Amino acid sequence: MDHCAAVLLLFPESFSNDLPDPEYHKAARQHVQKVENLSKDGLLAKFAPQLLPQIDPAVNSISFLALLLESLSDRSTKKIDAILPHLVRFLMTFDARQIRYAGTQMSNLLSAFADFERAPMINDVWEHTINPSMAGSLTLWQASLVVDLLATALLRIDPTGSVLTAHHLTLVRLAYTSNNIEPALPVLEKTIVFYPGAKPTLAPKFLCDMAVHPTAYITPETGLGSKVTPSTVLKYDALRALCFIQRRSWQQAFDSLQRVITHPAGPGVCSNIMADSFQKWQLVGLLLNGKAPSLPPSVSVSAQNIYLTTGKAYIAISQAFESNTATALIQEYGRYTQDEWVADGNLGLIKTVLSHYQRWKIADLRHIYTKISLEQIRALTQSAETGASLGSEQQVLDLVQDMIATGMLKGEVIPAVADGSKPAHLVFHSLTEELSSAAFSAEMADTAQRIAALAPLVETLSERLETSREYVRHMARDAARFKDKSAGLGSGSHPFEAQVDDEDLMIGLSTTR
Amino acid sequence: MAEPLLQFFSLMDAQGGVIVKEPPKFDLDLYVQNYRGRTRFDRLFLIARCSVPLCIDALKAAIAEAKKGRDTQQYREAVECLRVASPHDPDAIFDQQWLDATDKVNRVELNRLSVELKAYKNNLVKESIRMGNEDIGRHLESTGDLHGAAESYAKMRPDISTPKQIIDVAKHLVRVSALKQDWGMILAHVAKLVGGHSSEDEKVLHGYIKIVQGIACLGQERYEDAAFSFLDVDPTVPATVYNEIASPNDIAVYGGLLALATLEREALEKLFLGSPTFRTFLELEPHIRRAITLFVNGRYSACIAAIEAYRADYLLDIYLQKHVPKIFAKIRSKCIVQYLIPFSCVKLDTMNAAFGTPDHPVEEELIAMIKEGVLQARIDAIDRLLITVSASPRSKLQASALETAQKYERQAIDKLRLLGLASADLELKGRKGPGPAAGISLPSMGDMGLIEDSIMA
Repeated sequence: MDHCAAVLLLFPESFSNDLPDPEYHKAARQHVQKVENLSKDGLLAKFAPQLLPQIDPAVNSISFLALLLESLSDRSTKKIDAILPHLVRFLMTFDARQIRYAGTQMSNLLSAFADFERAPMINDVWEHTINPSMAGSLTLWQASLVVDLLATALLRIDPTGSVLTAHHLTLVRLAYTSNNIEPALPVLEKTIVFYPGAKPTLAPKFLCDMAVHPTAYITPETGLGSKVTPSTVLKYDALRALCFIQRRSWQQAFDSLQRVITHPAGPGVCSNIMADSFQKWQLVGLLLNGKAPSLPPSVSVSAQNIYLTTGKAYIAISQAFESNTATALIQEYGRYTQDEWVADGNLGLIKTVLSHYQRWKIADLRHIYTKISLEQIRALTQSAETGASLGSEQQVLDLVQDMIATGMLKGEVIPAVADGSKPAHLVFHSLTEELSSAAFSAEMADTAQRIAALAPLVETLSERLETSREYVRHMARDAARFKDKSAGLGSGSHPFEAQVDDEDLMIGLSTTR
Repeated sequence: MAEPLLQFFSLMDAQGGVIVKEPPKFDLDLYVQNYRGRTRFDRLFLIARCSVPLCIDALKAAIAEAKKGRDTQQYREAVECLRVASPHDPDAIFDQQWLDATDKVNRVELNRLSVELKAYKNNLVKESIRMGNEDIGRHLESTGDLHGAAESYAKMRPDISTPKQIIDVAKHLVRVSALKQDWGMILAHVAKLVGGHSSEDEKVLHGYIKIVQGIACLGQERYEDAAFSFLDVDPTVPATVYNEIASPNDIAVYGGLLALATLEREALEKLFLGSPTFRTFLELEPHIRRAITLFVNGRYSACIAAIEAYRADYLLDIYLQKHVPKIFAKIRSKCIVQYLIPFSCVKLDTMNAAFGTPDHPVEEELIAMIKEGVLQARIDAIDRLLITVSASPRSKLQASALETAQKYERQAIDKLRLLGLASADLELKGRKGPGPAAGISLPSMGDMGLIEDSIMA
């Protein structure tokens, strides 16, 4: 056991973190090899329970990870109970630099960990070791613990959050099905633009180089990211959208759904997820902007056709939403039974749309009026839930005040004047607020900064594209053509690319040079 | 209103027709004298069905007109109407003898012409075939078979030998299309008429083309194009060239009204009032000229009053009728917009005094205009004011700059994502090989074992 401990604690030594990249790389590789040898000899499995408390996961991450995996191979409840505190400690503190060398192991651990949510054994551990006060609401907490730790671990591996892995899908599925979205938000709110498995792979010289982009080490080769399928990409964004819908973050939900419906698809191809997302996208668009969204130009023609056919009912709802009376909307809603909306998985969403109809109609009045009495609002707008105007001025007042409180409406309600000269009314604030110079430049600077932050991503991608086989082939062809052209012109022949001015059937081609 | 007349107009109302109760300002006889051909009957019949005061007179004139021709269907329709509107009128009795005789003559004539055409075809003389087709076309047109007439006229085309014949064929086809109110076909036929004629012919033809183009554009609601077409008509072109379709007075009314509806003040003054050619037409209809002058001088309510006075006349015009509400609304909204330009805030009562009527307060119209974006203003319903919105250029610039920046950011991220997907080869592809066509190929969200959306939870 002492030998084992000595090997495990060997890397990194206290000075290792200051080592230049080449040495660190070499040392890390050797260490992984040594740990693997120990594992093969069965030593790790034997001494894991004793060794785990002695090793600091934040320092000797590779060793700790190996021990954890060995311990997890035996899945008896009792054992797992003992391991869990270590597992939690590890996921919260591991050294992301070291883990790049043990990608496959890390990935396995995360998969195993995600499975825990289904197993009941975690309850006791949680109860006794981590948060004794939470006993009683365990089922809720066990999932939230898993989600929280998974999200933390994923962000520790990839702080930019821009690379999709299979664990992302596990995370979002778990978060959504167990209704623990909050702890997953740090991951969900990141914008994914990279996908492992892109060709050609740009293996960095040293995995430990802290300056390289996560795309360099989250690859199938390191094991940290396995190759994803189109289905994973679509499911992740669709589930992410569902999470945002649940939180009523309409803008983020809309953006996620738009990512799904604009997923590149070959001619005649479309996925069910895309068609389903289109329906939700229509409804979320209404909630977000109060009017039907228009399809982005990048949607392929065949996908468009499928959307228009499968989403007919939803497009009709969108159109009805824009009319001034609620009748059309109620009629479109009534065309399908409640069960049919449930079958689409959209009943809740569509009910929300109905309840937001009147709010949007009141908000739209700001384009016409500067001041309007509450009584007029009552007469002009209808609720799509009842199909009639609100019953009393008080109800209008409540609704308007709720809208002002939630930030949907900018304005204030002025109570009626006692002598009856002015009724209670709503004053809309100006639509276009003039920003002060400082506020404006701050906002612009903020946007500029966000755009500038994209630069490394662009650089990474452009580097990848420049080394792709197609691009190199294209450049080579281009160069060859240019060479041909200049050679052809020099020799006085008629190369085909030479500019043809006129073609006379009797004489032949005439060209200018 | 007499009982039968009331019954007649309730019938017309049920059919969705326009009913004009005010007497128009024109004299029916003088009005009809401006026209030639089938359009005379069509115009009379339209007036009969729409104008309460002129109904009986117009029907009787229409019956007389129909009896002059050979279209028995026209006669039947007119007499049917008169029988409802005025059952005791001597004209309300079918002249069965005339009907039978005319039908018989028509049949015999068609037969004769068909036999003649057959003979010409056997002889292979192009000119005769062309004339044979033309004769059949004319005959069918006069007996009311407009579709057949158009077909026969179109058959003349292969046997044309001179430019004049091209013009003749096109004119026949334009006339029939105008009777059928097929605006697209008018424009198609006119397009074949341009170029390749002597200068004198050219001038006359140009006038003709511009008139029919204007009418076709009016029919297609392309009001501005129509206005410019009418503006281009040369007043020296004799009315006989085009009076099977319109009269010089019509050109003044159509051109003037459409210009009022679509053009700005400067353009109206320079192009219409200042045009020596269009001025000649405007002199025929002084009220249009007055309305344009009033508009140009900023007297908007007087301008609206001037054209409102003639609303009944316009509603009885065969081409204008359908468009009167739209054109008037456009003129009104233009007047309101122009009226508001010097003010930042106007009392709604003042607006009502200038543009509203007791039945139609101007407020609803203003709301509609604001919604359409025609009017940049907001209504203060509490203090009853109309406040014009002058977007400050500064805030406009700020808003557009921020929007551009955000749009750029969004697009950049989206492009990056699409490039990322492309480089990882994650595009959805169809199945290869036999089997059901590619298409939906992934499990749906439902299949993924998701819980029902629990947004309301």
